[in-house]
Amino acid sequence: MAWNKVAVVGAALIKFGELFEQSYEQMAAGAFESAIASVDKGFDPAQVEAAFVATQRGTLWGQEGIGGNTVPSALGISGIACTRIENACPSGSDAFRVGAMAVASGVHDVVLVIGVEKMRDKSAEEGLLSRAAAGHPIFTRGETAPVLFAPFATRHMHEFGTTREMLASVAVKNHYNGARDPFAHFQNEITIEEVLKSAPVCHPLHLLDCCPQTDGAAAVLLVNADRAEEFTDNPVFVAGFGVATDHPYLHEKSTFTAMTATTAAAERAYKMAGVGPDQIDSAEVHDCFTITEILDIEDLGFVEKGKGGIASLEGETAINGRIPINTSGGLLAKGHPIGATGVAQITECWWQLRGQADQRQVEVRNGYALQHNVGGRGSGVAVVNILTNRR
Amino acid sequence: MNAAWGRGGGRGTVAVCGPDEDVLTLAAAAALRALEAAGLDPGLVDGLWWGTSRPPFAEGPSHAVLAAALGLSPHAAGALSSGSAHAGIEALLGAADAVAAGSARLALVVAADSVLPGPGTGFEARSGAGAVAFVVGADGGNAFLGARTTRSRPFLDRYRGDREETLRDLYDPRLFREEVFLPLTREVGGQLAALEPTAWSLPDPDGRLGGVLAKNLAEGGAAASAPVYAAVGDAGAAAALLGAASALDTQGVVAVLAYGGGRATGVILNAEGPVPGAAGVLDALSGGKPTTYAAVLRARGLLVKTGETVDMGVPPESAMFVRGADEMLQLLGARCGDCGTINTPPSIHPHCIACGGTKFELIPLARHGIVHTFVINHTMPEPFVAPLPIAVLDLDDGARVMLQVAGDGVGLEIGSEMDLVLRRYAYERGVPVYGYKARLVANETEES
Repeated sequence: MAWNKVAVVGAALIKFGELFEQSYEQMAAGAFESAIASVDKGFDPAQVEAAFVATQRGTLWGQEGIGGNTVPSALGISGIACTRIENACPSGSDAFRVGAMAVASGVHDVVLVIGVEKMRDKSAEEGLLSRAAAGHPIFTRGETAPVLFAPFATRHMHEFGTTREMLASVAVKNHYNGARDPFAHFQNEITIEEVLKSAPVCHPLHLLDCCPQTDGAAAVLLVNADRAEEFTDNPVFVAGFGVATDHPYLHEKSTFTAMTATTAAAERAYKMAGVGPDQIDSAEVHDCFTITEILDIEDLGFVEKGKGGIASLEGETAINGRIPINTSGGLLAKGHPIGATGVAQITECWWQLRGQADQRQVEVRNGYALQHNVGGRGSGVAVVNILTNRR
Repeated sequence: MNAAWGRGGGRGTVAVCGPDEDVLTLAAAAALRALEAAGLDPGLVDGLWWGTSRPPFAEGPSHAVLAAALGLSPHAAGALSSGSAHAGIEALLGAADAVAAGSARLALVVAADSVLPGPGTGFEARSGAGAVAFVVGADGGNAFLGARTTRSRPFLDRYRGDREETLRDLYDPRLFREEVFLPLTREVGGQLAALEPTAWSLPDPDGRLGGVLAKNLAEGGAAASAPVYAAVGDAGAAAALLGAASALDTQGVVAVLAYGGGRATGVILNAEGPVPGAAGVLDALSGGKPTTYAAVLRARGLLVKTGETVDMGVPPESAMFVRGADEMLQLLGARCGDCGTINTPPSIHPHCIACGGTKFELIPLARHGIVHTFVINHTMPEPFVAPLPIAVLDLDDGARVMLQVAGDGVGLEIGSEMDLVLRRYAYERGVPVYGYKARLVANETEES
């Protein structure tokens, strides 16, 4: 029996990309205004009681340690309760979960969850690449973001015979989807050959195995399920969620062919929603690198462990495949503005369950969509949210 | 060199440190080999005498860092001699005197140098690097210190002033030869020759003077000098003792003549039999791999890419390095008393990662293991240089660590056999930061 105490009545994102011309505040306002416009029966901004803002990395645009009060002011609703959530790459999905809990608790009836991230105000060298010098001076020295994921690729290839072509097929599929998503950062299709021939970034991952650095914002409106009909006749409910952690350093991992935080978060979410992976109609999963999506679809139970690569290559995860994955283009094509990513994934799930995904629409058979992020040091935190259009 | 300057280079071989090596990592490698040859546990050593013309910290904890990295007792005595190529022999004599005086029972002597010439200078093509270590004790041993003599003259020859990065070339090579080097070394060498040595270790600062000196001494019946300079070039403070060590593989009387900073010192070593480890010295000096002049300049820190470097998350003088000093330099782990899992590094693991336990025993980690998985990072900001291999290793004692891999990662595979060696991880805010890197055992000769 799904949880279903909270309904999503509005969802939107702005066009992701290198938004040099927009400020953090302008991106937030754009997402909020579009979310309001997406509510079927209209929505008065004054109804928002509380906001949960996901921004993972203020350091990327010179706003270290910003609090929750930046956003309400920019949205014209200053005065509301507002809390900033920072939980690594799952910041947006965790803000969504916290927002849902705030509504389910009865404290708030109407909550805004908004993810906003400026990734491109600083150069790549000063941005995520500078992580190479962060953390433990010896055990994490040289550890840029790809170093957190590439060792899994090396080991997965070794144990299961996963090939670079299989990895590349994930990027090809997600770019195909991104080319059909007007909000995606990249809207061009690519070939396996192009992925294989792109520049090496962190062996065995090459440039097109990696997501870009992207600016973006996304927003969703959550209400008490009992009040959903005030806003829409076509609501989507929060069926369940799960969060889990794992040790933060790579040398503490018990395995390099699975992300145990994902496995544990998924187990909790499935249990709460009362469904299993077979009942999921489409999923937005964390594909910061091609290998991550392969691990995700195994760890989330969509394919057998070790078969993620071949499943991708054979089209099982395409829009018309057995289990459509990342119809929005995923992080690889749509982009990964960290705090906004999870909220934008929720938006794609919302569209899919409401039949509004246009060229990307999947067949909704069971009425469930799954959203997932994994990240943090050593991929040590994962969040899974499950949505449904079934009451 | 010829391509860069239109002259220079020439024949011969010199040794240069890798970009992540320096006098301290060379010293550590030599010291561990000497202790192994002597069959001694580092914990038994009660004094470290280290000679290097240029310690890694101009002022700072050079001696303490090396002692900690070697796993010596925190009560170990000793001294750091520096300031010229004469520092190596000073370390040997200091240790011998301490042992003779009874203030140390088992002393470790290390002479290490990596000469840093100015690009384009005349002695650049002969500047080398190397390290050598001796274990000196009150009891046992096959070699004994005999007579010694010193002659000095206050003259600026090869020198470096405060705030100068590289050594200056000789002001006038003829002046140096005729008025300083030959008079001093001939006088000291003549005294040593009187004791009828069977082997010599002679200084050769420019590739010619050593031969001239040997010929001078040969008139009195002296043998040729040990072939150290031919193998590694001028290894500065390490040169004289490298020559001595290479000659100690057989019974005989070894005359060691060290020159540096206007001082010449001669020492007689009487070997009653081969000294353990001595037979491997020349082999060790023939290791390494060919490189290019550009790579040499980069390794010496003389060719630096333009651009802002990314600072380490915490500066090397911060609390984290105080807390973590021993565990990083000695590569310690915390073995869980409940389940046996080894947690690394100990300071960030108050609870066991496997069982949550809190009873730990600090242990030195095994220095050998195999690759579980790895990456080769090609995309990093300054000051990192690609390619940078990083590997997750399963060590022989069951501990798992993730460390950088020395070298370019060619040949690195899952299952590769690795050993762990002390390397300089960063040159951060002007000071070196040391830790362990993994090295392909198959590449031991090339990467040593």
